[in-house]
Amino acid sequence: MSSGISPQDVVKALRAVKDPDLGRDIVTLGFVKDLEVGDNRVSFTLELTTPACPVRDQLLAQARAAVAALGVSNVDVRMAAQAPQRPDGHSLIPRVKNTVAVASGKGGVGKSTVAANLAVALQRAGAKVGLMDTDVYGPSVPVLMGGSDAPRVVEGKIEPPIEYGVKIISMGYFLPKDEAVIWRGPMLHKTIHQFLGDVRWGELDYLLMDLPPGTGDIQLSLSQTIPLTGAVIVSTPQDLALTVAAKAIAMFQKLNVPILGIIENMSYYLCPQCGHREEIFGHGGAREAAQKFGFPFLGEVPLDPSIRVHSDNGKPVALDDSTAYGKAFQTVAGALAAQVSVANFQTAQDISIE
Amino acid sequence: MPPVPAKIKLAAGNNTLVIQWSDGHESTYPYRYLRSRCPCATCEEAGPPPEQAVGGLPILGQKPLHPARAELVGRYALQIFWSDGHSAGIYAFDRLRKLCPCTECRALRETAAW
Repeated sequence: MSSGISPQDVVKALRAVKDPDLGRDIVTLGFVKDLEVGDNRVSFTLELTTPACPVRDQLLAQARAAVAALGVSNVDVRMAAQAPQRPDGHSLIPRVKNTVAVASGKGGVGKSTVAANLAVALQRAGAKVGLMDTDVYGPSVPVLMGGSDAPRVVEGKIEPPIEYGVKIISMGYFLPKDEAVIWRGPMLHKTIHQFLGDVRWGELDYLLMDLPPGTGDIQLSLSQTIPLTGAVIVSTPQDLALTVAAKAIAMFQKLNVPILGIIENMSYYLCPQCGHREEIFGHGGAREAAQKFGFPFLGEVPLDPSIRVHSDNGKPVALDDSTAYGKAFQTVAGALAAQVSVANFQTAQDISIE
Repeated sequence: MPPVPAKIKLAAGNNTLVIQWSDGHESTYPYRYLRSRCPCATCEEAGPPPEQAVGGLPILGQKPLHPARAELVGRYALQIFWSDGHSAGIYAFDRLRKLCPCTECRALRETAAW
């Protein structure tokens, strides 16, 4: 009976499937590719905008059901993912599709830990990921990611070390452990420029940038040198951290960098002895702040000694998604990837100068 | 999202730079006007040049000036490299929009100030 089904019928049926984040149907979004309609058989590729898509399974099931409802018994859907090339990519990093700053305002809220785990979680979802440690004074990424080899320089370009599939650059690789960087602003600017342009990043879906605390030279250099896809704000739940986070938000707004969302770190502590849940810094403050400012809330990460132990040992907890903490980071990474896709549809700038 | 430039024409004729904005508005900036409002620290300190030169013919004291090129600064600003070598000013998009000299925008600004 299905011999009467045309490709148009299938496309029409698939138009009923909507991406909840982008708010449009999967045909309009261009997700449906290589459609083939045969005798009682339909096959196509569903190409999403990120390998870490949190609604991947939902879209797949809905697309299958929509075609099956036409009376087709053999529905073959191949899943693929391709982060779109933005029109406002930069010549310094031409093959990096998305640049995301991980910021906080206040120090000590776990920015670097969150950045490292998000990088690992995105990589495990199938994305090509880079992690740039822009905290020149207090680089912590080499410890978090467990690398020890200094980057090699080949033909004047730095080969970034790869840990857990993530390409990494950090000032920590270039200095002996006990040495310190004691620099003024212009040197920081040069370093940021080199970390972008002189590192062989190659093709990346996401380049995450772990920022130092504050709203100073490095934040400004980064925001001026490349058009950032967006910034993620990490905060602990208490008012003190959120008050300073508001400063970081104000800075990014002034620099026209979209805020992709807010992550609550150290959200609560589960006592391993009795299971009691202690909300050391309060709870839900970042979610409330996200609502107040009108930004997406990307999720919460608990405070737990195992996250600290894994971090100190250079094995991010996100490597193991069988644990609650690994799952927490996976969820946040999925939410972040979805917001990057949204930003690509809404805020990509295509400015021509002639 | 506040409006951002969609198209910037450095040499739009008649010694002007034209910006077509994402909301459809078009701004035409005479070079001298834009340069006299350079937001760099040195120029801000010096203040705008006197409107009336001695003798009543300010145009005689001015050398020709044009933007040799311009670059985008991140997502929020335009850096203009003027033909006389000055390039320190970073013109944020919102500031450029506020500087729009068209009658409509001028009237809006005066109402707001009043």
